[in-house]
Amino acid sequence: MDERWGLTPMVKVEVVVSGEDAQVVTDLFSTAGAVGFTAVANVSGVGHGGAHQGRLAFNDRNALALLMVVLPPAGVDRLLDGLRSLLAERPGVLFVSDTYVSRPEYFR
Amino acid sequence: MSTRTFSTSHVVALVERATRVVPVLWPLESAVAANPLWDLRSHSFTSAVAHARRALGIVGLPPAEVLADAFRAGRLTVADLEAALDDLDQPDGATEAEPVHRGAPAPPPSMLVTVLERHDQLTGGRMAAEVDREVAKYCAAYLGGLLGTSGVVGTGFLDQWRAAVVDDPAARRLGLHGVLEAVAGGPETVIATVLARLVLDEAGAVEELTGQSARLLGWAAHAKWRSRWAAPDHPGPALHLVDYLAVRLLYDLAALERLGHRAGPGACCDHLRPAPGSSPEVPPAALVGGPAGDRLARLDATAAAAVWLAAYEAHYRDDLLAVLERPSSQPSAPPSPGALRAQVVCCIDIRSEGLRRHLEASGHYETFGFAGFFGVPARVWPFDGGSALDLCPVLLHPTVELTEEAGEEAAGAARHAGLRQLAVVERAVETTREGPVASYLLAESAGVGLGPLAVLRTAAPATFARLRRWVLARLAPPADVHPVLSGPGAPSDDEQALFVETALRTMGLTDRFAPVVVLCGHGSTTENNPYGSALDCGACGAARGGTSARLAAAMSNRAEVRALLAARGIVVPDETLFVAAEHDTATDTVTVFPPAELTPTQADRLAVVERDLAAAGAELAVERAATLPGAVRRPRRGAARHLATRSADWAQVQPEWGLARCAALVVGPRQLTVGIDLERRTFLHSYDPGTDPDGAALEAILTGPMVVAQWISAAYYHSVVDPDVLGAGDKVSHNVVAGVGVYQGAGGDLRLGLPRQSVFVGDEPFHEPMRLLVVVVAPRERVDTVVARNPVVAELVDGEWVHLAARDDGRFWRRRPGGGWRQWHDARTDAHQLGRPVRLGRPYEVAPTGGHGEEERHG
Repeated sequence: MDERWGLTPMVKVEVVVSGEDAQVVTDLFSTAGAVGFTAVANVSGVGHGGAHQGRLAFNDRNALALLMVVLPPAGVDRLLDGLRSLLAERPGVLFVSDTYVSRPEYFR
Repeated sequence: MSTRTFSTSHVVALVERATRVVPVLWPLESAVAANPLWDLRSHSFTSAVAHARRALGIVGLPPAEVLADAFRAGRLTVADLEAALDDLDQPDGATEAEPVHRGAPAPPPSMLVTVLERHDQLTGGRMAAEVDREVAKYCAAYLGGLLGTSGVVGTGFLDQWRAAVVDDPAARRLGLHGVLEAVAGGPETVIATVLARLVLDEAGAVEELTGQSARLLGWAAHAKWRSRWAAPDHPGPALHLVDYLAVRLLYDLAALERLGHRAGPGACCDHLRPAPGSSPEVPPAALVGGPAGDRLARLDATAAAAVWLAAYEAHYRDDLLAVLERPSSQPSAPPSPGALRAQVVCCIDIRSEGLRRHLEASGHYETFGFAGFFGVPARVWPFDGGSALDLCPVLLHPTVELTEEAGEEAAGAARHAGLRQLAVVERAVETTREGPVASYLLAESAGVGLGPLAVLRTAAPATFARLRRWVLARLAPPADVHPVLSGPGAPSDDEQALFVETALRTMGLTDRFAPVVVLCGHGSTTENNPYGSALDCGACGAARGGTSARLAAAMSNRAEVRALLAARGIVVPDETLFVAAEHDTATDTVTVFPPAELTPTQADRLAVVERDLAAAGAELAVERAATLPGAVRRPRRGAARHLATRSADWAQVQPEWGLARCAALVVGPRQLTVGIDLERRTFLHSYDPGTDPDGAALEAILTGPMVVAQWISAAYYHSVVDPDVLGAGDKVSHNVVAGVGVYQGAGGDLRLGLPRQSVFVGDEPFHEPMRLLVVVVAPRERVDTVVARNPVVAELVDGEWVHLAARDDGRFWRRRPGGGWRQWHDARTDAHQLGRPVRLGRPYEVAPTGGHGEEERHG
């Protein structure tokens, strides 16, 4: 429990991948013990592979998706193990950061 | 070799990596034609084929005899080969380093095999084949609902199999029981444990899992569909990849331990020489002769086969671009709306081209091409019951959910009552049929009546179909059914306007509306055909397109939607009526679905349009009947009757050709292609570059319809070049398995791709195996922008999965892989070639047969 805010420390993992890889990433979340996640479909941006258009009129699978999950620190190693292996061959980016939540029981 | 223990999360990623080479097999109810190598598209086509050759044993390039026959027939020439060889000498800057095979022939690639397969190779055993038999047996039982052991914790395949296999003598013979006790946990844990027992490093683990998937590729492809493409709430048992691979690995581990396999570095298998992979065969260089033959002789088989394929494709490309460049086909002003009886929007499907051409020949119609779901990604619950239909390309998730209702409540109630009674009878028959004694009684009692019916159905299929329709109409009277545009999942007025606007802008129909605009979907009526949905509309998720057309037409006619469209700059005149229709591609009949209320003027106009659609269909029937095996060449009326009979024939394995011979996608105004017989080989997507300055419409077309067209083209391509691995085999001996696929014969693996009868006539391919040619009418700079900001398009274009050409500045340009354009010139400088009638590929027409006099039998 963080004394200043009365919040519990957790780890937030954010992944941006092609929409067609979103299912595998959420499978990884589940296997790592996550009980929930957030997915944002059709995100746009620019990366080392160039520009990526956002929403495509007739294709949901080949636009980028942003997936976010919050886990207790103990579960993060297992998740990163899978994500690193996936991203060794698939385009995508991974961000890991400390975060705080008010209702830790929702994330365990 | 460094080995490690994998976490369960790591296993999920390993399975994903290992199964990228595995195709996806959709269930038969929605048999989507997909590129089997789609998940390898981050590699070039050449590299992907080489990878799949090693993993799956495919060849991936056209057979030598097909190319040799084409050469002898003039379907490809020395000039085509020389041009392809020149391209090889001056590569166009591909995005990845490609091996250029020259000099001494490269050794054939070694096949990727599992540890158990290697053991079999060493010992001459057949344990891997025995495991396959067991795994296939349990997969079929699981999907057929036969493993539902009560009291089992978990409904997954691994759990259900564990519970069932303990009583299986085959499992005891394979020594499975010890392994079952020793390896516990969920599928990811099981996979991790077995990989550790086999002492595999990460690369070895991926190869082992790929090899496991390739053993029964059809079952793996079904599991991949379930894990990666099916909606999470899709009904029925879910055979997931991790469960499937876990079960396979447990069998293999048991077999290996029983055989005394020592795992680890230096173990029994490491020194084995893997079996050689499949290498493409090419026509002998002597067939070509001269300098081109000499140059071909210096290439290894893979490189030479790639040159032959490129030449084969270039010949078609040059013919198509030449015919599009002729003065008669230069863009001219479209007909004025006042001169039109209707504008007709058809699906981009190649089969629509014939209907459009014959309809336009009357001079009273302007036609457009657009994906057959008309831009409305809908999940529809059919009025007659059953599962919901996702009426959109599988690349899209439905965003609206609708029900259907009958126009008249009483008629709807009568139909529902009739359907309920029929369902009761059907259930009773099924129950009786499955009973050990009752089944004999059923045969004895019903055989008297059903026997003559079977004779009638065989001898006079069209008469039988009419009789059945008549009986069904009395038991469950048809009702006029239409989708309901209200309810919890229905789109708002704004959403409806957006759907309509997107469709109209994408196809370039934003003004000049005719009094009638027909939205014409398509479907195919066939009998006793497990692959029937493969003949329906791919843009509607392999379903009939009539419902999508009705949805789009209903939205387009609503006053609220028209007002919103006007506010967005698209003014549809009040007198313009949108009407839905459906083209039956098996019979070439067109059914029109008029709105419930019509003014007398509208009714008169629609009657004329309906008559003209029927006439165009009849002309198309004559044209199409000439290409169907066993068809009788007859005048107009006879051809239509023949197609109707063929469609109703339960013994007919070639009811229509579907999308065979598809070769190109043309994205541009119809004025470029109008009046040209494209021989039902081109997808046609309407596009007006003048109304799309930012390229948004072009982007929608190249990321959606182009991908769908590429999938279809690739599915047909591989069904011809790799019929044993990526084709579905002979329809005659198909057996349907739990509604998900077919066996060839009594058991084994599910078949992938298209049946042999869909792409071959006898031993000769009817479909010409080529990569899709995409011709876009747009400024090159705009095309480049769309390619650059959409990785999926860049992969397809730069990886040479498709060939891209643009019509710009009044000329055609070929896009070089990796970027840049080269102006296309008609290389056929010889007067004979230029003067000859252009045939788009090798012409195909069946030899006329005498028929039997009786129109019912097709011979």
